[in-house]
Formats: sequence, structure tokens, C-alpha cells
Amino acid sequence: MQHIALTSFDKERCRPFFDRLTEYFHEHHHSEEQDANSYEGLLYRIRRPYTPQMLDMIDDWMGLEKRDWREETQREVMLSLYAIRYPDTLLIESLTDKARSDIRRLSAYLHFTHHTYAIWDEDSRKGLAKLGIDIPSTEAADPFVYGAYVTAIELLKEVAPFTCFLEHDVPRQRLFQAALAAYGRE
Amino acid sequence: MADGEIVQDYTQNFEAWIQDFSEWQTRIGFDPSWLGDYRFDIKFDWDTAGSQIEFGDFEGKPKWERGMHIPQQTIRDAIINMVSVQGDTEFASVEQQNHLLASAPTEYDRKSALRIMCEEQRHGWQMAYLLCTFFGERGIREAAKLLERNAQEGTRVLGSFNEPIDHWLDFFMFTHFIDRDGKYQLKMLSTSSFKPLAASMGPMLKEESFHLGTGANGLRRIVKQGKVPCALIQKYVNKWASTGLDLFGTDNSTSAQWAYVYGVKGRYDEREAQGAADREHLNEASRELYYQELCDEMRRISKVRKKGEPDLYVPSDKFNREIGKYAGQRYTVQGEPFEGDEAAWEEYLIEVMPSDEEEERLVNEYMQQEWIQYREWKGE
Repeated sequence: MQHIALTSFDKERCRPFFDRLTEYFHEHHHSEEQDANSYEGLLYRIRRPYTPQMLDMIDDWMGLEKRDWREETQREVMLSLYAIRYPDTLLIESLTDKARSDIRRLSAYLHFTHHTYAIWDEDSRKGLAKLGIDIPSTEAADPFVYGAYVTAIELLKEVAPFTCFLEHDVPRQRLFQAALAAYGRE
Repeated sequence: MADGEIVQDYTQNFEAWIQDFSEWQTRIGFDPSWLGDYRFDIKFDWDTAGSQIEFGDFEGKPKWERGMHIPQQTIRDAIINMVSVQGDTEFASVEQQNHLLASAPTEYDRKSALRIMCEEQRHGWQMAYLLCTFFGERGIREAAKLLERNAQEGTRVLGSFNEPIDHWLDFFMFTHFIDRDGKYQLKMLSTSSFKPLAASMGPMLKEESFHLGTGANGLRRIVKQGKVPCALIQKYVNKWASTGLDLFGTDNSTSAQWAYVYGVKGRYDEREAQGAADREHLNEASRELYYQELCDEMRRISKVRKKGEPDLYVPSDKFNREIGKYAGQRYTVQGEPFEGDEAAWEEYLIEVMPSDEEEERLVNEYMQQEWIQYREWKGE
């Protein structure tokens, strides 16, 4: 699914971001707040079969409050983590309101269970806006808004020059999302 | 250059090469169905290739876009040689690693290795495309040879690409040390005066970073798991580091110097470097950067070792060299001249390099346990 109109994409505008992408990544990913070691640990620790404790670990790293979900909601979300296939986001629409109420939480679950989905971050969204890719701000997991966010990052990965790609133990979606967050804040 | 120009040159000859390529896959036992929906696309990044020749005697002139733009036969020969060697290594590595898919420690490793093999084949495919498209009859002949030489028969151009890769520790060592050399070679060609060659390097380098990451992360996962003793891992580091260093070629290389004069192959840090290149020591300068990078990476890998395990390190760049000024000389892994006769040297090598017994223990004892940190494949 291509959410971004390719005709309106301005590669030239991305150049300053690409030139400093690795610096931006380090600035965000290796900040005290982001706790890179714990993040990298979760890449290994979150694995099938998924358990509520694994979701707790993700919540902890994200600094989110404890989930206030009923048993069915939790089961519904965990089943969706097995069912969803990157880059589809429309499955999110079938979730109940409670499960969809926090895009940060849901995107983090998707990220750590698939690595290809990017964590929703308001600063990353602002970073995309600076590159001319406007994605609405949202707190709830709207499948179309999140889909646009994910495919915008995928597009950047496609067009970025080789100098952007680190041999780092993080998925490339994280590399770009983290760099966008630092760029968005700048 | 418009993309369309390339497509017009997409001749029957390359089509014929594609047929040979399918036969090569069958011959080496690579099942094309493993590719899934992966396609061998020809990829160029014209933006990063540059328009003007960046160094050497033709500096400032437009980059050559066609074979006939290249002003001298000697330069054409140098480019054909470089493209051929690059292509040769790509296919060789698939021949070396193909058999490992059946014994992957995890699904993540199997899929990572498969992705690497697909991408290496694409890189070879790209080099064959350049040869067939831009260098006429001779290019077509060289492209055919890429599929005729064979790593298992020891007929690949570079020594490291004829070495057997018997198990997954060797695989991670290879992707860490040898693919890292590949990154250096590709980056040195990314500023080439021959524009289609320079433009080929960007997409290849993007893919290569995954290969290096697989090697470095694989080694880190093994060290972290702590089942294979670091002392044994160190012996494999000793074995592969010298091989990687040799790949940079001879010291005081005149062919490297000519390649620089022609603007065909630059320094690793050509665009970032301040000041003029030392043209007589181009290989040494790249090798030194590579060596420093190896040392930095090994510090990261060693950091995760279990308590009580010895530190891992990269041996001296003088140790066990077959090419360059230390070739055939006896130095210890610390870089001290070795004191002793031939027999003592042979004994020393057994002490610091993996022996047959250790190889046996690695495969039949350590690798029978959970020897590498588990990682789930998540379709990265």
C-alpha cells in the first residue's frame, strides 16, 4: 500500500537529513532516555509465543503506564500480532477501541514482534513533516495514519544513499525512525 | 544519464548470459525457488555517482558514461579487470556458503544467509551486466568466465574465495572479515571515473551493510552465549584477519597507482579525505583504515564475553601474511618477530590457529549445544 504520492516527494529536500542521518540516529537512539542496551535486548527477548510479560517489557522500555485492558482485549491484540503481515496496517481497524486507543503502545508491540513496523513517535512525525511528508498527529492507532507513517519511512529507506546504512544491530526502520525523531526535534 | 539509455543497450548477449546463470545455479545446487519473490534487478544510484571525474589525471572532466568514452585501451583494460574481479568474488561466495543453509543454527540465520546469497548473486549479475553492456566481445567473454571459475575447484581469482567455509563460525568470520573488505572495495569504486560502475556501487553498498552486520552480530551472539570458548574463537579470528588483510593487495602497488591516475578506483575515504593521496601507498592506506575498523569492531564483540573469558583481539597486521611487505615472514600474533626454526613455527601456528582436532570439537561438541544466542526471524 503506497500512502505517499510519489509525485509530491522531494528527494532533494531530504539531502540534509540523509547527510547527517547517522549522527541523528546516535543522538536519539543512544540518549539516556532511549536506553539503547535495553532496546537491543528486547530485539532478542520478544519472541514467539508472545506473552503478556513480553508486552510489559515493551511498555517498560517505552515508559508507558501499565495496560488497563480486559483479558479479551489483550488476547485480541496478541492474536493480531501473529496475524498481521508487513506492511499491512488495515488489520488494526478490526481491533476494538480500547486496543486502538494508544498508537505509541500498539506500534511498539508491532515493532518488537516484527521489526519492520516503526514505533510511532511524535518527533519522528515532525521529522517527516520537515521533509515535506505531512502525516496528521494522532493518539489513537488509526490504520491509515499509521500506514502512511510506516510507508513514508519505507520510502526513505528506499531512496536514501548507502552512507545512511549502519552495520548496527538495529532494524533499518528503527535507524530511520530514531534519526527522524532527532531531526524533528532540531 | 537517463535510465532509458541503459535499457536500449540491454542486448541479446546479456540475455544469453542469464541463461548461463540459471545453469550455474543448478550446477552449484542453489535452488532458484529459494529466491521467493526476490528479483535480480539492475540497480543504479546516479545521484551519488557524481558527474565529474574526482581524482587522478582526468580530474574535472566529465565521467565516462559509455565504453567508447574511455580515452585509452589501458584504462578500459583496468576497468574490465576490476569489474571481473568484483563479479568473481560475488559468485564465489555463494559457491562457498551454499551448503550451509541446511545446517543453520536458527531460522533467522538461515534466512539471513539466504538473503546474503541472493544479494551476492545480484551483485555478480550487475557486474556481468556492466561487462556485457559496455565492453563488447571481451566483456561478454569475461562475464562468461564469472560462471566458469569455481570456488570448490579453487579456480576463483582471489585466494580467500577459494577457502572452504565448513561451518557457521567460518560463515560469520567470512561475513565479518571478508565482506568488510568487500565494503572497502565497493566504496573505492563508488567514486570511479566510469559512471555506470560508480553508480552500481551505491545499491550494492546498501545491501553489503546487512552482510557485515550479520557477521558482526553473529560473532557477538556466539561470544555472548558463552558456549564456544573465547580462546577457540580467537584462533578463528587469527585465521581470518590475515586473509582479509591480504585482500588489499601488494604494497607500493603500481596497478593501484595507475587505477588512481585513471580515476577508476579512489581511496576508501576519497570524498572525505583532506589533502592529496599518497599514490605510492594506496593499498597500505586502505588496509590501515580496514585494520583500525576491525580493531574497533572486535572491541565491541569482546565486550559481551562471559566473566573469566579472555579478551578477543585482532592479531597484528604482520601475522601470517601472504601478500604485502610481511608476506612469508614470521611474526607472532602480537607482531613480534618469531624466534625459532621452521618446526617451532609450525608448532606456533598450531597454537594460534584452529587445528583439525579443535575444528572437530567445535562442530561435534560445541555446536551440538545452544552455541549461539537465539534470535527470531522477523522479516527485516
